[in-house]
Amino acid sequence: MQAAELSGERAKCVTGIDGLDSILGGGIPISNMVLVTGGSGTGKTTLAVEFLLRGASKGEKGLLISTFESPDKMMSNIPHFDFFDEKYVKDGTLQILELGPLLDRAGIKQRILDEESVIRLAEMIEKTLVENGVKRFVLDSLSSLLYGIEDQMVAKVLLQRLSAAIYASRCTGLLISDKAGPSDIEGFVSDGIISMDNHERRGDLLRTIQVTKMKGTSHSRSKFVIDLTSWGVLMTPLLKGGGVS
Amino acid sequence: MNGDMGSYVATKLEEIGPSVSVALEIGMDTYFDVVRGLTDNFAGKKGLMCVYITSSVPSSAMLSALKMLEVGTKDIHFIDCISHLVSRDIAPSENTIYIDNPTMLENIILKVDFLSRKMKGKTMLVVLDSINSLAIHNDVKMLSEFLQVLLSGLKSKGAYPVIISVAGQAKPELKEVMTLVCDQIVPVQLIP
Repeated sequence: MQAAELSGERAKCVTGIDGLDSILGGGIPISNMVLVTGGSGTGKTTLAVEFLLRGASKGEKGLLISTFESPDKMMSNIPHFDFFDEKYVKDGTLQILELGPLLDRAGIKQRILDEESVIRLAEMIEKTLVENGVKRFVLDSLSSLLYGIEDQMVAKVLLQRLSAAIYASRCTGLLISDKAGPSDIEGFVSDGIISMDNHERRGDLLRTIQVTKMKGTSHSRSKFVIDLTSWGVLMTPLLKGGGVS
Repeated sequence: MNGDMGSYVATKLEEIGPSVSVALEIGMDTYFDVVRGLTDNFAGKKGLMCVYITSSVPSSAMLSALKMLEVGTKDIHFIDCISHLVSRDIAPSENTIYIDNPTMLENIILKVDFLSRKMKGKTMLVVLDSINSLAIHNDVKMLSEFLQVLLSGLKSKGAYPVIISVAGQAKPELKEVMTLVCDQIVPVQLIP
């Protein structure tokens, strides 16, 4: 048992993303399943990849499941990080898997999932997390996985099973979603929500981040402006100019 | 004052030391002497990395001017907030980071943070040129908050933060802000 747990606080996964760890009071509580939501171009995938790479640099195994593009294409679209080392991929510290082959391995033929297939998929993910000792997990994207599923119960079962899988394997998971608010099922089931957005100011767009929910830690609820750089995602408070809107 | 303005500026900053936010209140007739004092007499001689935030003159014009003044520009990094606004023909430059618009104040803070990380802890002189031009594009409350965040971050890093303010061009509320956020205001003008 770690010191943090003895003092009654949940042990945390230090993301390694400077500003985010400050916002979260030290990191994401281990075993939390966190929804990273936001529109296109807000930096969700970049944030998630940095989360994995920062972990890999400390020897923590990471797994990214890509639901809609090949691992090569996904990595080619990420800004060049100065701290990226190819050895993380070569030695298996960072694994990037495509959803299709994973579904095949689970014996799931259809691409619009039903309740039985989401249960099998979650079991397959849990098995992969446990067998590989994964400490950081990213699913990019949940929206793509849920695409075409009309029955909200199926979506709920998938999220509950994923949450249970992440909890059972004692890893920390980020699920990337193009949409979700507090009333959506994704937000309701998740342990945390990190909202990323484009803040418009006089016609210009500023990328922002805001933690709106995080079980197991007290955190800032302020909005921060971010920059996607080769040194990672940098953050600074959104200026309000004395006004309240 | 009269005499060598560049040396005066460098001596003054040397006396004041790091982690102190300084506003240099200049006259337009001393502008280039002050810029030379900051970049050459002070940063150049001390071996500091110079981050030059320009919101009044495009960085390409500043670079040409510095070359004419025979100031070495290798260790000067520009954060250029004005070129995108005034020109469509912007050539990429190794030592320049462009910001779309001088209203994107948070991005200025983030670019300074980025350069600071890139320089791996080297001591920086950070020049904001000028508060008057930023005030054209931003309201004073926003500027006040921006300066407070920027300057406190730089002071905690042991940098030399310097704000150029053109005497006689600032509204009273902007002067109030400068008094509030700057530790020292240094007049640098020629005595007629």
